Amino acid sequence: MRQTLWQHFRTALLISVLSITSVFVSTFISSAPAYAADCTLTAIVWEGYTDPSFAQTFEKETGCTVKATYAGSSDEMFAKFRAGRGRTYDIVSASGDITERLYKAGLVRAIDTDKLNNYNSVFESFQGGKWNTFDGKPYGVTFAWGPNVLVYNTDEVKSAPTSWDVLFDPAYAGKISLPDNPMTIADVALWLGKSDPYDLTDADLAEVKAKLLELRPSVRKFWTTAGELANLFQSGEVVLAHAWPLTYTQLSNEGFPIGSVGPRGKLTGWTDSWMISKNSRNEDIAYKWIDFILSGEGQKGVIEVTGYSGATTLGAEAVGSERAHELFMDDLSLHSQINMWQSVKNYDQWVQLWNEIRS
Amino acid sequence: MTVSTTQRRSPLPIGLYASLLPPLIWMSLLYFAPIALLVSYSIWRLEAFDIVKEFSLTNFQVIFTNPAYRTVILRTLGTALGVTVIDILIALPLGYFIAKFSGRYRSLLTLLVILPLWSSYLVRVFAWKIILGYNGILNTALLSLGILKEPSQVFLYNQFSTMLTFVHVWLPFMVLPIITAFERLPNNLLEASADLNARPWTTFRRVTLPLVAPGVLAGSINVFALTMGDFITPSLVGSPSGIMLGNVISSQFGVAYNWPLGAAFALVVMLLVFSGLAIALKQGALESL
Repeated sequence: MRQTLWQHFRTALLISVLSITSVFVSTFISSAPAYAADCTLTAIVWEGYTDPSFAQTFEKETGCTVKATYAGSSDEMFAKFRAGRGRTYDIVSASGDITERLYKAGLVRAIDTDKLNNYNSVFESFQGGKWNTFDGKPYGVTFAWGPNVLVYNTDEVKSAPTSWDVLFDPAYAGKISLPDNPMTIADVALWLGKSDPYDLTDADLAEVKAKLLELRPSVRKFWTTAGELANLFQSGEVVLAHAWPLTYTQLSNEGFPIGSVGPRGKLTGWTDSWMISKNSRNEDIAYKWIDFILSGEGQKGVIEVTGYSGATTLGAEAVGSERAHELFMDDLSLHSQINMWQSVKNYDQWVQLWNEIRS
Repeated sequence: MTVSTTQRRSPLPIGLYASLLPPLIWMSLLYFAPIALLVSYSIWRLEAFDIVKEFSLTNFQVIFTNPAYRTVILRTLGTALGVTVIDILIALPLGYFIAKFSGRYRSLLTLLVILPLWSSYLVRVFAWKIILGYNGILNTALLSLGILKEPSQVFLYNQFSTMLTFVHVWLPFMVLPIITAFERLPNNLLEASADLNARPWTTFRRVTLPLVAPGVLAGSINVFALTMGDFITPSLVGSPSGIMLGNVISSQFGVAYNWPLGAAFALVVMLLVFSGLAIALKQGALESL
């Protein structure tokens, strides 16, 4: 009896070892590039920016592997990128709030746009954007972005709001949501008419604080993830929110009565740029990767995985006009209206102010 | 004579020390080293996104002089103490009943107390969102009973929902030590007290309570420490203006990249918990004499 059990076990073991080996071998063979992959592109990115669904195409075309590390916040991204003096990572998908910091720390090199075949397809208002152009030279290539918009429940809010003032409307008190992020201070500064919402003096900050304290009793909940916000809408807790287009897309896909507006002239947003490390040993591959992400296929891949907006005309074509419209990729007038996230010099103060609002 | 003594004695201490070595290494790596790191970060400071590794008490100055952070510390302490007291009040009768009157159902009832611990902590917190929410179970019930005309928002996202969730999720950590304490309480002491004409309340105050106090204190340490460090419950069901120390710490380590300030806050939490622990131990020692 023991013997037969052991034999069964051995057979099972043999079969599993064989099947694992065969899966391993077949994966290896099918994904093995045409020539030896002795080049590796290391990247530190936001989750989804090197998703295998499209990165594999790049790996097959170039024979280079993309090895990515995900960052949880801009500050983590900056800290990790700097830790290896820029040698650990060849490229970084920096958001506008750390691009200048990376440049000033001398960690990134200027981009030679001539080396990028698809650079001309980057939306014109994104070429030479002040979030990645320093000393007149481009240090980053914009490839994804998003405006921060007003999302509302169309059943509860009958007419489309035209201004952020709707958040202060007593009719919706206790039914609004704001992002739980100190960068929201920039939005409030814009509502108050500050010309540069990322360069605020102590007096400006005091004004923002007063405005936020006025708004706080109306806030049902500060949201931390897009999923949480969608949940707040669905459970009827909130009817108005300061949010990303992603929430609108998610909810309208589920047939929820949801609307989205971008009150003119008072919008913030974020832009992600590829930046190349000053000490990168794989510059050519880095350029190839950036070029790939700017292409229709690369843009489509990023947009499908993350739900963010793309930054090139090739991308807009690739996803189709309907989707491009949803993601504000066809309404170019919107771009100039957005105050994209930038480095905040006194960010410590911002975080402290945000903690004061929340306590 | 002396030689033979050392020869006889020497094998014992070596073996003893050798057996102490593994736990000592373990403790050093997983406990003392992280705490030393935490302390050193807390006395460094952040300047222009760089951690300056020089001694400074800036962080502690910020924590104790900023009125907003003081509010957070007081709120966290208040919440932790409140949750502990409420859990004691619920667990005492429950523990007494299970230990003394449940008879052969005792293990079943104990199991029911532990049962919630088998599900994820997050699931239990989310359950309260579903119960207390705008379209939640409570509102639906009150609507169908005609008590409310339209759903009420007063149940969720405030200090009440935070306390309620804490009281519920940490309750097993209070009930279990109290059951054990009641089990150790000899029935004949209670009978003797009654025979000497003590009223039930007097018996409870002068016999029962001193004898179960170590159990209550053990449970209190659990509940107090767990509430002090938590940041998930306040961020899921808490008030928009009700962050706790855990949330401040997570924001310093996350979005703000101000690790020194975060470490200083973490140290403050640890000191508060340890001082609570010291008080409890002292009280417990006195009570069990």
